[in-house]
Amino acid sequence: MSRKLKNNLFKGSIYTASFLSIAMLLFLISTLIGKGVSAMSWEFLTSESSDFGSKGGIFYQIIGSLLLTLSAAIISFPLALGMAIYKSEYIRKNAFQNITNTLIYSLNGIPSIIFGIFGLIFFVNILNMGISWFVGGIILAIMILPTIILSSYQSINSIPVSYRENAASLGLTKWQVIHTTIIPRAINGGFTGLLIGLARAIGETAPIMFIATAFSGVTFPNSFLEPVSSLPTHILALAQQATNPQALQNAWGSSLVLIILVFIFSISALVRRVQYSKIKY
Amino acid sequence: MLAFQNKIGKGYVIASTYVSIAITLLIFIILFWYSFEAFKEIGWDLFTRNWNPATEEYGMLSMLYGTLMVTGIALLIAVPVGILTAIFTSEIIPKQYRLYIKSAIELLAGIPSIIYGLIGIAFFSTWISSWFDLASGRTLLTAGFLLAIMILPTIITLSDDAFFNIPKKYREASKGLGLYTYEVLQKTIWPLAKKNIAGAVLLALGRALGETMAVMLLVGSIDKIPDPFYQVTSPGQTITSKLGREVGESAFGSLHFSALNAIGFLLLLLVITLTIFTQIYFRKKQEVL
Repeated sequence: MSRKLKNNLFKGSIYTASFLSIAMLLFLISTLIGKGVSAMSWEFLTSESSDFGSKGGIFYQIIGSLLLTLSAAIISFPLALGMAIYKSEYIRKNAFQNITNTLIYSLNGIPSIIFGIFGLIFFVNILNMGISWFVGGIILAIMILPTIILSSYQSINSIPVSYRENAASLGLTKWQVIHTTIIPRAINGGFTGLLIGLARAIGETAPIMFIATAFSGVTFPNSFLEPVSSLPTHILALAQQATNPQALQNAWGSSLVLIILVFIFSISALVRRVQYSKIKY
Repeated sequence: MLAFQNKIGKGYVIASTYVSIAITLLIFIILFWYSFEAFKEIGWDLFTRNWNPATEEYGMLSMLYGTLMVTGIALLIAVPVGILTAIFTSEIIPKQYRLYIKSAIELLAGIPSIIYGLIGIAFFSTWISSWFDLASGRTLLTAGFLLAIMILPTIITLSDDAFFNIPKKYREASKGLGLYTYEVLQKTIWPLAKKNIAGAVLLALGRALGETMAVMLLVGSIDKIPDPFYQVTSPGQTITSKLGREVGESAFGSLHFSALNAIGFLLLLLVITLTIFTQIYFRKKQEVL
C-alpha cells in the first residue's frame, strides 16, 4: 500500500468517525428539543401530575428536584470547603496527602447505585429515617463532595506561598491568614465545583430511587422526613409505560425541563471556569 | 480571642475532613457488613448461573457476564470512534472552533443517564428489533450500543486533551521531514499521547461498569447467559440492572437482600480497584514528564 493511499484511508476513517459522532450528538439534541417542546406548555409546568403521570404536569417533580439539589448543596459545601482547606493548609505529611487523595478519588468512583443502597441501609433502615427527601439530599451531598473538594483545593493551591507569608508576617494568626487570603479563593473555586456537582446531582436517578422519592400523590413535603417526587424518577416511571403515547409525551417534556436545569448549572460552571482561569497572580 | 478563633477554625477544618473520610469508609464498611451473611451462607455458590430467591439460589455469573459483555460492546464501539473524533477536533479543525465543539461535547457528557434510557427505549430498541428481526429490542447489544454513546463524550474530550497538549514543535519537525498527516500521528503524536488516552479509556470503563439507569431500561433484565455466549442480540442482565430492579423489592435483612449487597460490593471492589489503579498510573506518568 502506498503512503498516499494509507494517508487517504486514515483521513477517510477520521471523517467517518467524526461524522458519526456529530450526527449522533445532533440526533440526541434535536430529539430532546423537538419532542420536548411539543409536550411543553405553561399548564404542564404548573399543574400536578395525575393518572400515574401520563396526564397533568410536573410541578411537584420540579419542586422535588430543586429541594433535593438545594439540600445537597447546603450540606456538602461547608464540608468540602473545610476539607479542602485542611488538605492544603494543614496536612504536611505526604503519606496522609496520598491517603486523602485515594479516598477522594474512591468516593468519586463509587457507582451511583451503590450510594442508593448505602442510603437505604444506613439512613432509611439503621437510623430509621424512612424514605424522605432529606436522606436523598444527604446522599446526593456525599456524591458531589469529591467534585467540590477537588475544585476548591485546586484554586487554593494556585495561591502563591508569598501571599501566605506576607499575611503571616503582618502578625496574623494561622486562622486569620486562612480567613483573609485562602477562604475567598476557596469559596470561588468551590462554587464552580458545586455547580458541576449539582449538574450531576439533579439528573441522578439511581441514588435516590429507593430512598427519597415516591411516585404518585406527592405534593410539597411538610417535614424533613417525607418523600418527594423528582424529575428523573418521574421519567423512569413514565419510560416504563412507554407503550402509552401520552406517558411518553410527558416523559419527553420532563426530560427537556431536566436538561434545561442541568445545562443551567453546567453552563454557569463553564462560564465561571473561563472567567477565573484569567486570574493571574 | 484570636487564639480561640484559631482553635475554632482549625476544629472546623479538621472536623469536616474527618467526617468526609469517615463517610467514605462507612460506605465500604456498611456494604461489606451487609453482604457478609451472603458470603458466609452462599460462599462460592455466588459464582453459579442460577438466581432464584424462592429456592435460595443466588448465582451472579449471568450478571457478571452481562456487565462484561455490555461494557465490552460499549468500549469496542466508543474507543475507535472516540479517538478518531478526538484526532479530528484536535488536529484537523481550526483552533478557534475547537473550544466551541469541546464545550458542546462536555455539555453532552452531562445529559443524565435516565434521559439516554428514554431515548434508548423510544428509538434504539425499536431499531435493533427491526434490524435483527427480534421480538423485543431490549438486548445486551442495545444496552452496549447506548452505553457507547454515553461514554463517547468522555473519551472524545479526554483524548482531545491528550493530543492537543503535545507541543506543536513535534508536529512541525515531523512535517518538515515530509511525512503525511497519518505518519505524523502514527510515528510522533501517538507514542506521546497513548498513555493519557489509556487513562481516558480507563475512566470511561469505570463509568460504564457502574452505569445503571439506561442499562436497566434496555438490557432486557433476564438472568441468563445466551447460548452460544456471543449471541448478544438476546436479553441479559447486568449487576447494576439487577440491583436497580431488585433492591426495592427485597426485604431488608433477608438473605436475598444480603446477596444483592454482595454483588454490589463486588462491583464496588472492581470499580474502586480500577479507579485507584488509574490514579497511580497517572501519578507515575506525571513524575516522568
